Amino acid sequence: MAQEKLLLLKNIRTKGYAADLAAYRAAGGYKALEKVLGKSQGGMTPAQVTEAVKASGLRGRGGAGFPCGLKWTFMPADPKDKPNYLICNGDESEPGTFKDHYLLMNDPHLFLEGMILGCYALSCHHGYIYIRGESMYLIHRVRKAIDELYAEKLLGSNILGSGFDLDLTVHPGAGAYICGEETALLDSLEGKRGQPRFKPPFPAQAGFNGCPTTVNNVETLANVPFIINNGPEAFAKLGTEGNSGTQLVSISGHVQKPGVYEVEMGHNLKSLIEDFGGGVRGGLKLKAIIPGGASSPIMRPESIDIPYDFDSVMKAGSMRGSGALMVFDEDTSIIELANRTIRFFNHESCGQCTPCREGTFWLKNLIRDFVDNAGSEELMQRVDRVAGSILGNTICAFGDAAGAPMQAFGRVFPEEFRKHFLR
Amino acid sequence: MPTFYLDDQPVDFKQGETLLQAADRAGIYIPRYCYHPGLKITAQCRMCLVEITDMGNGRGMPRLQASCATPAAENMRISITSEKALNAQKTVNEFQLVNHPLDCPICDQAGECDLQDISFLYGTGRSEMNYEKRVSGNRDVGTFLMLERNRCIQCSRCERFSRDLVGTHDFAVFNRSHEVSFDTYGDHRIVHRFQGNLADLCPVGAITQRDWRFRKRAWKLKKTPGVCTTCSTGCNITLDSHQNHIYRISPRENLQVNRWWLCDEGRINFRGLNYHPGSSGPGAGPGKKTPRLEEPQLKARGKARDGGWDGVLEALAPLLKEVAAAKGSVAALADTHATNEELFLLKTLLAEGFGSDKLFFPLQKGKAELRAPAGLEDTFLYSLINTDKSPNTAGAQALGLKGLDGPDALKGALGGKVKIMLVLGSPWEDDPIAGDISTLADLVIYLGVGGNAWSKTADVVLPGFTHAEKYGSFVNRNNLVQRIRPAISPPPQARDQVRTLCSLLGALDREANHADGRDVLAALGAAEGPFKGLNWEALGDGGMPLPGKG
Ligand SMILES: Cc1cc2nc3c(=O)[nH]c(=O)nc-3n(C[C@H](O)[C@H](O)[C@H](O)COP(=O)(O)O)c2cc1C
Ligand code: SF4
Ligand code: SF4
Ligand code: FES
Repeated sequence: MAQEKLLLLKNIRTKGYAADLAAYRAAGGYKALEKVLGKSQGGMTPAQVTEAVKASGLRGRGGAGFPCGLKWTFMPADPKDKPNYLICNGDESEPGTFKDHYLLMNDPHLFLEGMILGCYALSCHHGYIYIRGESMYLIHRVRKAIDELYAEKLLGSNILGSGFDLDLTVHPGAGAYICGEETALLDSLEGKRGQPRFKPPFPAQAGFNGCPTTVNNVETLANVPFIINNGPEAFAKLGTEGNSGTQLVSISGHVQKPGVYEVEMGHNLKSLIEDFGGGVRGGLKLKAIIPGGASSPIMRPESIDIPYDFDSVMKAGSMRGSGALMVFDEDTSIIELANRTIRFFNHESCGQCTPCREGTFWLKNLIRDFVDNAGSEELMQRVDRVAGSILGNTICAFGDAAGAPMQAFGRVFPEEFRKHFLR
Repeated sequence: MPTFYLDDQPVDFKQGETLLQAADRAGIYIPRYCYHPGLKITAQCRMCLVEITDMGNGRGMPRLQASCATPAAENMRISITSEKALNAQKTVNEFQLVNHPLDCPICDQAGECDLQDISFLYGTGRSEMNYEKRVSGNRDVGTFLMLERNRCIQCSRCERFSRDLVGTHDFAVFNRSHEVSFDTYGDHRIVHRFQGNLADLCPVGAITQRDWRFRKRAWKLKKTPGVCTTCSTGCNITLDSHQNHIYRISPRENLQVNRWWLCDEGRINFRGLNYHPGSSGPGAGPGKKTPRLEEPQLKARGKARDGGWDGVLEALAPLLKEVAAAKGSVAALADTHATNEELFLLKTLLAEGFGSDKLFFPLQKGKAELRAPAGLEDTFLYSLINTDKSPNTAGAQALGLKGLDGPDALKGALGGKVKIMLVLGSPWEDDPIAGDISTLADLVIYLGVGGNAWSKTADVVLPGFTHAEKYGSFVNRNNLVQRIRPAISPPPQARDQVRTLCSLLGALDREANHADGRDVLAALGAAEGPFKGLNWEALGDGGMPLPGKG
C-alpha cells in the first residue's frame, strides 16, 4: 500500500496538532526563517534564498508549473523608486481544487513562513494574501495567524533583529474564478473590476499598482521552508526529472475517500485513485478522470497508468494543472459533464476577449443540444471547431482552459456524443 | 528606420510602435475593433491577430499575436494572410456576430460600420449560430446620444474614452461573459461637451447621435473636408451632405489640431448651414429662426428697392465714387468669421479705394474654456474648446486689422461719424452698435449671410456665402493656415463675398477680378506679406503654418 510522502502535511497529519504559532514552533516551525534572518547561523542574503529555490527545481503549484526560482529572478534585485511586491494567490477557484484551502485552514503558519521567506527573497516589504471571499472563515483563520506573528514580532519591523521589515495584508476576493488569474487578481486587489491584463508588461515589470510584482500560489510558497531547512538538493531529490518535490493532490468525485493527499511528484496516477482515493465507490467501474481541474482535458482509464507530474500528464494529452483529480464512474454522463463544464466557463469568462466571451456562449448552446438529444455529427464537429477557435486566441489562459477540455470531451468520448444524436 | 516584413513586404517602424500602428502608416490595413489610435490599447477584441513566423531572432511564435499591441521588432516576419492568421480573423469575426442582432437595414451605422465591412470581407453569408441571442435593449444615455446595447460588440472604446480622455467615467462595464454590457451607471445621463466622439468611436451602431439617427443612409453622403468655425481652434471636420443638405459634421483627423475629436458645439453647427428658402439659415435652430438673406437690397432708409444685383451695384457705384472723390471718411467692420481672402479684399478696398485704414474687428479674448478634472493624465480634449468663438482672429491680426474690445472702443476709434461704413459679417451683432449705426455712418453697406440686426438697419444688403459654400482660408489660434471649400451650393441670388468685394473695387475702377477665394489666396501668396508663398492647393487638407510664424 502506497504511503503519503509528508513534507507539507507533516503537522496536519499529526494527531492533535493545534495549528497555532506555538504548535507550529514546537513542531520545528520558523526554523527556516531563523536560519535566513537570525544571527545565530550567519543568515542568508535574498539572492541566496532565491538561488536555493531555483536550485530546488520548485515549480509553481497554481496550475502552470512555472519554475518558481526563475520567476523570482525576473524581479528587480534592488528596488529603488518602486517597491517590490509578493502576492500570494489563495483564490483557489479551479473546480476540483481544495488543497490551498486545506493548508491555510489546518496549518496557516507553514504557508506564512514561506510567504515571509519569499518576501525577503524579493525585497518586498508589504505582501498581500488574496483569499477567495466566499471563505470568510479562512480569511479569519489567516488573519489570526498573522496577528500571532505580529505579537511575537515575527512580522512588523526589524524581524528577528535582521533589519528586515515586513507587513502582510489579507485581502478577500469578490467571487470570480477569473480573479485567480494573476493579472486579474492584481486588478481586483487594486479595487478594479477583476479582468486579466494584456501581457507584456508582465507583473514582474509592472504589476500591483504598476510596481514589480510576483504572484505565487499558496502551496508553492509553503514548500520554501523545507527547501531552506533541508537544502535544495533534498527537495530536488524528490519527484521526477524536472518535477521535483512533493505535491498536494485534491481527489474528488466518485471515489471512496475523497480528500487532499501528499505524494511525490510523479507518483503513479492510477495508484492515486486506487491507493489514496480508495478506488471507485460502490464497486462501479472507472469511466474517466479529469487530472488537473476543470480546465484540463478528460482522460480514459486506459491512459492513466502514468506518473502524475506536469510533464507526464502533458505528454498524455492533458494537464496536471492545480493537482485536482476528479474521478468519474461508469454511470456518469459525459454530456452532462461537458454541460456543467461549459456552463461554468461561460459564466466565469470575464468577457473582454471576443472568442472567449462569445465562444463559451455558443458552446454552451451547442452542448445543450446534445443534452436535449438533438445532437448530430455536424454539431459535434462544430463543438470542436468553436472550441478550437478559442484556443490560443485570447488575452489570458482562460480561453485555453475553456476550449481544451471542450474539445477533449468529443475527442476522447465520441461515442458518448453519438448517444445524444437526434433520432 | 528599422524594418519588419509583413507578408514579405518591408514595413518601416518607429521605435515603440506596434505592428498594427506601423502597418497603418504604411497603408496596410489590418482589421480591428478595439484598437483606436487615440485610446489606450487593450488588445481585447482579437480581430487583429497575426502570425509571427520570425520574431527577428529566427524563432517564430507558436501562438497568433494581437498586432495592435505587439511591438514591432527589427527583421520580424509576420503574416496577416497565412492560413492560420486568416482562419483566426474569420472565426473572431464570426464570434463577433454570435450575439449581434444584424439589424443593418434599420441601423444608422450601416455603410460606415466596421463590423459590417469586416463581415463582408470574411463572412460566409451563412450563420452557424442558430440559437437565441442576447437581448439587452436600448437606453437613452445623454443629451446627444442613444445607446442600443444589442449592437454593442464590447470593444470598450466608449469606456476608455470616458475614463482616460474625458475623465467623467460615464461608461462602465457591467456583468460578465456574453452578458457583458457597456452602459452608464443607473439612469446617469452623459452631459459633457464631447459626446459626439463616442458615436464616432463606437465601431458599430450601438452609440449613435440623436441628430443623425434615421436621417440619411451613410453611403449616400458626399464628404467635404472643412474646418470648424465654432471657435479659434479650427478643428478639422468633414461636412456630410446629400442633395445639397448637410446632415452631419464629423471630426477629420489632424494630429496637429484636433487629433480625432470634435466638440458637440462644432457638430451641431451643421443645423445652421442648411438653406431652405425663407425658413431657416445661419443661426437658425430650435427657438431661433433667422431667415437667410436671399436678395440684394438697396434701401432708401427703410424702404427696400428691388433691382437685383445689377440694379443694386449700379445704384451703389456713384455713391461710392462720390465719397471717394470727396475723400470722405470711410470705415469697415468685419467679424473674424470672414476668410483671409475677404479680409484682404476689404482692406484693399478701404486703402486703395478710399485711402482709409479704419478697419476694425471685435477682438475676442482666447483661452481654454474648460478645465480638465483633477487627476486626468491626458487633458488634450479640454484644450479644444476656446473662448474665442471665431475661426479667424489670427488671420485678421496677420492682415493688420485692428481688434477692438467693444462698441465703446469702436466709437473712439472711428473718431466721429463716417460717410460710409462697410460691414462684413456680423461684428458686435448682439451689442446695440448695430441699432445705433445711423449715428455713426451716413451709409451702411452690409455683406452677410443671415438676417440680423445689421441686415435690418443697413442701407445696402449684399447676401453672401456661408463657410460651407465657398473657398477660402482661416488661421487658427496656433497660426496654422487651413482651407475650406464648398460642400453645398448657396441660394441662387447670394454671391461669394469675394466676388462682391471685387465688384465694389471695380466700381472704383480698381482691377480686381477673382473667381473665388482660391484666386485671392494665390494673389496674397504671390505678394510680400504674412501669406507669402502660400496658395490654396499647397495648404492641403492638413493646413500649413503661417509663414514667418510658428
Ligand atoms: C483562469 C485562471 C484561473 C487561475 N486560478 C488560479 C487560482 O485560483 N489559484 C492559483 O494559485 N493560480 C491560479 N491561476 C494561475 C495564476 O495565474 C498564476 O499563474 C499562479 O498564481 C502563479 O503561481 P505559481 O507560479 O506559484 O503557480 C489561474 C490561472 C488562470 C488562467
Ligand atoms: S480569455 Fe476570457 S477570461 Fe481571459 S481575458 Fe479573455 S475573456 Fe477574459
Ligand atoms: S457601445 Fe460601442 S464603443 Fe462601447 S463597447 Fe459597445 S461597441 Fe464598443
Ligand atoms: S484591435 Fe487588436 S485586439 Fe482589438
